[in-house]
Amino acid sequence: MKRTKQLNRREFLAGAATSAAALSFPYLVPSSALAARGRAGANERLTMAHIGVGGMGGYHLQDMVKRRDRGEVNIAAVCDADENRLANAVKTAGKGVQPYRDYRYILQRKDIDAVVIATPDHWHGVQMVHAAECGKHVYVEKPACCTIEEGKAMVAAARENKISVQVGSQGRSQPEAYLAHRYLVNGNIGHISRVDCFHYPSPADNNPVPDSDPPPELDWDLWLGPLRWRQYNKRYCHGVFRWIMESGGGQIRDRGAHVMSCAMWWMGADGTGPVSIEATGTAPTKGLWDSAILMNVTYTFKNPDWTLTWTQMPNDKLPSAEKRTGKEPGGKISRPGYGAIYRGDKGEFIHWGGDGGTWAEKKAREWKPPVGAEDVYKSPGHKEDWFKGIKTGAKTIMNIEAAVGVANLCVLGNLSFICGRKLRWDPVKQEIVGDEQARRMMGRPQRHPYHL
Amino acid sequence: MYKKLIKAFPAASAVAAASGRAGAAEKQAVDGLIAKLRDKSDKVRAEGLLSAVEVGAPAVKPLAKVMEDDDIEVVRAGKRALWKIVRNVGRPGAGNEKKAVVAKLVGLLGEKQSALVRREALWMLSEIGGDETVEPVAALLSDEEVREDARMVLQRIPGRQSLEALKDGLKNAPMDFRPNIAQSLRQRGLMVRRPASVKLVPTKKTNVKPLKDEGT
Repeated sequence: MKRTKQLNRREFLAGAATSAAALSFPYLVPSSALAARGRAGANERLTMAHIGVGGMGGYHLQDMVKRRDRGEVNIAAVCDADENRLANAVKTAGKGVQPYRDYRYILQRKDIDAVVIATPDHWHGVQMVHAAECGKHVYVEKPACCTIEEGKAMVAAARENKISVQVGSQGRSQPEAYLAHRYLVNGNIGHISRVDCFHYPSPADNNPVPDSDPPPELDWDLWLGPLRWRQYNKRYCHGVFRWIMESGGGQIRDRGAHVMSCAMWWMGADGTGPVSIEATGTAPTKGLWDSAILMNVTYTFKNPDWTLTWTQMPNDKLPSAEKRTGKEPGGKISRPGYGAIYRGDKGEFIHWGGDGGTWAEKKAREWKPPVGAEDVYKSPGHKEDWFKGIKTGAKTIMNIEAAVGVANLCVLGNLSFICGRKLRWDPVKQEIVGDEQARRMMGRPQRHPYHL
Repeated sequence: MYKKLIKAFPAASAVAAASGRAGAAEKQAVDGLIAKLRDKSDKVRAEGLLSAVEVGAPAVKPLAKVMEDDDIEVVRAGKRALWKIVRNVGRPGAGNEKKAVVAKLVGLLGEKQSALVRREALWMLSEIGGDETVEPVAALLSDEEVREDARMVLQRIPGRQSLEALKDGLKNAPMDFRPNIAQSLRQRGLMVRRPASVKLVPTKKTNVKPLKDEGT
């Protein structure tokens, strides 16, 4: 398919005029058509579409409406497989915004520069790759991918189509994440050889229900998308898809994609990976959900040598949260149930959260860098960083390569847990080594026609 | 005949006796597992799950029956137990244990089983099945109820035989299913021009209308 930014302005306007005449809604001129070839102009409004508008997608839409009202962007379209959610999104987005059930209508529109994808995890890979193939820049929710093969396809699609991708591990863009990062890289706790991530347990399905027909507002076939067919069950959606291994993967894939994202960023480990992964845990014994309730995963990294662990532990075992006044850069700690402890040869450092709230221990917040101290990248905000990437070609703070690296940690932790054994991983080839069954599980065949 | 054999080979009678004892123990283990999984108590079913791996291949067929129980939680327990067995025998070096489970799973692909059981068996074979499973899986490409699962499973089983089975499938499948098989062949690295990919072609229209401008 010809990409929007490969069209010259005259071609684009001619095509858009024809298409617009044939359709019943107004087309917008994409910023890329008015600017230098391949990039939106610095002062041009980007034209956005939102795919998945419930839950986190609803937040993104509201956030984008504020940006539109400030004159920063246009919003052209919203999309959801749930008609109720879609109708709400239309109300939120207002006039001039076209609703769609099938995201592929959005990808056909040449006036759209970029898409925000906030669908359930099992859709991220396919939709991001398709958007890239159609020349759209992408903000996609975390975790980036559900399988190793999806991740590889996402990286390849972003590179081949030269699009800017930001993955929604927004913890990297929080003000206290910058302070923590700067504190750690300047050796304040010495050489760090171990990072222990902590999190409260994944929930058990204590209210199981039998399979049933889907509600009339939901297109169940489209919601399932790439996943193999199964009967609808109320406990699949919405939101609770997180506790199903195939569509969400539990806390390790939900919050692991935040907390381990900070760890990989602060340890300078983006682009690397572990050589072995060993997981243990407790699986649910009733209900539909199948993600590990308690879990312990050990990732062993080599050259440089360090250990990363992910532990879902009972609430009474969690580290207690720092007391705060609320005047700190990140304010009060509203989600103390997850974070990580960094263990160096000169001391320890702890942070809580790691997503939209990232809270660094006091000593990092109050540390005054001496002359000559190393500084680190300070994100202007997660979406601002993405817009900068779109307009300048700069690498985003949670670019697709980094995000796939983090998502792979989550995926591999779950694979080790499911298989019940230690896995060996080749971080260069990005392959499981010496275990045929686990190797096959690096990918998952997808249902037609919802595939990479 | 059996008595004659025992007379001729006294050692064989000892083996047969031992094998009989083993068979009885095996039956006891399977029955114990199934009884626990069919129990009404979550706690007892959870205990059953813990012993599934030890029982292994002999439990496969009885577990398929558990998966057709009327109680959804019993169905789920049966499915969980079966997957635990499959994940265990997929470990490196579990050759004979794996072969035994694969053979039992192939036996679950027949029409006598429910679609639920056949689908689960197919996906289990996608993880541990080899060339020996290709023919029975490929036969399901003509079964409308499970053909899409069979197609994906063949895509996942590595090797020449599964690839050839997909190629044959493309030639022989009804027209409406050929795009699916073509997709699998593309995923396996083949260039397939016809039928063309429809992955980017939108098909589903919404009933939700955009907000109208006032006065229009």
